[in-house]
Amino acid sequence: MLKKIIALTWKDLKIFFKDRGGVVLIFVQPFMFILIISYALSGVFSAGDHPIQILVVNQDTGTQAATLLDQLKDMKAFSVETSWEGHVLTLQKVERLIIEGKRTFALIFPPNFTEALEQDLGIREHLTTKVLLIVDPNTTNQIVEPVLVTIQGLLERAAYRAMMPKGVEDLFTHLGDPTSTTKSGSLRPRLEETRSRGLMEKRTPAVTMERIAPTGMHVKKLPDIYQQNVPGYTIYGIFWIVNLLAVSVLREKREGTFRRLLVAPMSRVVMLIGKWMPYYLINIVQIVIMIGVSSLLFKMSLGHSPGGLLIVSLAAAATATGLGVLVAALARTEAQIGGLTVLLLLTLSVLGGCFIPRFIMPEWLRAVGLATPHAWALDAYQDLLVRGYNFWEVLPKVGVLLAFAVIFFGIGVWRFRFE
Amino acid sequence: MSSSVIEVKGLVKRYGDRVAINSVDLSILEGEIFGLLGPNGAGKTTIISILATLLVPDDGEITICGYRFREEAKSVRPLIGFVPQELALYPTLSAWDNLTFFGRVYGLQGSNLKERVTNVLALVGLSNRAADPVQTFSGGMKRRLNIAAGLVHQPRILFLDEPTVGIDPQSRNFIFEHVERLKAEGMTIVYTTHYMEEVERLCDRVAIIDQGRILALDTTIGLVNRLGAGVLYLGLPLVSLEPLLPDVRALSHVLTAIEEKGRLKIETSNARLALLKLIELCNARNVSILSLEMLEPTLESVFLHLTGKRLRD
Repeated sequence: MLKKIIALTWKDLKIFFKDRGGVVLIFVQPFMFILIISYALSGVFSAGDHPIQILVVNQDTGTQAATLLDQLKDMKAFSVETSWEGHVLTLQKVERLIIEGKRTFALIFPPNFTEALEQDLGIREHLTTKVLLIVDPNTTNQIVEPVLVTIQGLLERAAYRAMMPKGVEDLFTHLGDPTSTTKSGSLRPRLEETRSRGLMEKRTPAVTMERIAPTGMHVKKLPDIYQQNVPGYTIYGIFWIVNLLAVSVLREKREGTFRRLLVAPMSRVVMLIGKWMPYYLINIVQIVIMIGVSSLLFKMSLGHSPGGLLIVSLAAAATATGLGVLVAALARTEAQIGGLTVLLLLTLSVLGGCFIPRFIMPEWLRAVGLATPHAWALDAYQDLLVRGYNFWEVLPKVGVLLAFAVIFFGIGVWRFRFE
Repeated sequence: MSSSVIEVKGLVKRYGDRVAINSVDLSILEGEIFGLLGPNGAGKTTIISILATLLVPDDGEITICGYRFREEAKSVRPLIGFVPQELALYPTLSAWDNLTFFGRVYGLQGSNLKERVTNVLALVGLSNRAADPVQTFSGGMKRRLNIAAGLVHQPRILFLDEPTVGIDPQSRNFIFEHVERLKAEGMTIVYTTHYMEEVERLCDRVAIIDQGRILALDTTIGLVNRLGAGVLYLGLPLVSLEPLLPDVRALSHVLTAIEEKGRLKIETSNARLALLKLIELCNARNVSILSLEMLEPTLESVFLHLTGKRLRD
């Protein structure tokens, strides 16, 4: 029995290794995936090398904001930018940078930040002010929350340091009793502690932080987890049509029906279009189901441009199926199709930001990501679902997707072996 | 006299350095069954693939139904039907769906399409299996459906590439009857095979092909008659047969005599009577006959005579 198993094993190994293309792909593909994921996540696991970049507009007329920023700069996880291309940042500039996707976070200190922190809380109705944290609404909460918490913590520390000494001095002044040095030495820290707790729990704190989206985006409320994640996984899912389409072409060649079609009165381009079309339709249905079900099950908002969603979907499907034609043209065996599909899909999905937000990747990898249709499709969907853009605003990205589709299909037709 | 529907002059096809088709000329008449007979690898499928516009030749002129092959391939394709050697069907679709699809590809639609599919299924005896997926068919049934797919659009010329390979005798006979029926309806058929009996039964004319060249082209009777009434091969224990040749040629019923590969090759007008005379001659010369082979006048013999090897070698 063992000999027969060995004979069967050896036979299949021989067959497998005869397919050199398939062999290369099966071993290259996981390696490529490891490489790209490692690079993509390098910013997360070595924060000092790829800190989260935060744009800062410091409008504070005092010194408290500057002190806080110094503390923020000391943290290796963050990179504070107060200027851009030699010019001091303004509110309009930071919003533009976020809209353009060049940055994700911006911190705005109001002019009265120091005044609010250092005010005398007991004497008059106190001043309140807000520090704004402008965030690209597409940024997942898993990324935003740590930033929010960190900055909130720094604000509270700043508030404590600014308010406490003056508060305690006021207390002793009102008491009017030159308390002995010994008593004041033990009383002061306890009072400070009590007072500070009172500050933290005040219902209307002097300084609060508010997270908002850039003015140019029409976000009525912050996106939920589904709006942030469904587009990425949808795009990842629809590109699996590449495998189906390529295998179908290969099967048609193997079953001999391809030869029969070549003899029929129709051009080869018509033949390829006829082969491409059913998978394009399948892709559209796939997108409708994925987004539709997400909308129904998870109450995911579909933005306010159904026309925009439609045209992005049509363009994304054209790109995915165009890539399928290209793979069908290049691959000769099922092993090659499988290996090439997995290699392409995983690589493009990771680089395009379907699994990991692109903004946490190193700058160079973000640039590489723009060479993937996934990045453009994902961005377009997020523009509609998360950033509240309308039909016209996504057209440039639709144009890029269609360009990808034309290139993939064109190369596929050019390289297709009909004989 | 029928006119020719296919004219081929100087056809050449190369695969790298290998010349698969080497300057082939042929003319196929309307309404005839034209056979291409030769062993595997002779070039039959290559020729038929070129004529079916599947392959592009490297050289040569081809005219099909008056259309120039290279320039007017679009006009040629609706006129031809192609039945490849490999089955070319969608196994998960039914027979009906397969034929409907191929009919649509050729521009048939509506009631016309439905009628054609019905008729063709009846022609190949598969009407009662129309709704069944092809993968449930026997080999013979698949072959019949394979032919049906090439007929659904009523072509003027049908190319059949070894249509009976690997099927049972009953299905084979069924296919022969279909082909004869199609011929009776006026269809021109180009039939490739390496089975003599198929050519002898079906074909009006035959081209014997080997290594990319046409060795002979004639009716089956005409080809066989080239051998006279048989060919004899005699093996004799002589260093050279040359001295014996004049006497052999002088014998009655001997048409030609040559030395070939150490044996005496004799074309006769009557193999048995010629053999008797040869034995008498050898006895008179005190020469033993080491081996004797007699080729009856068949296409197999013709092939052997032309190529020096058997069709199934």
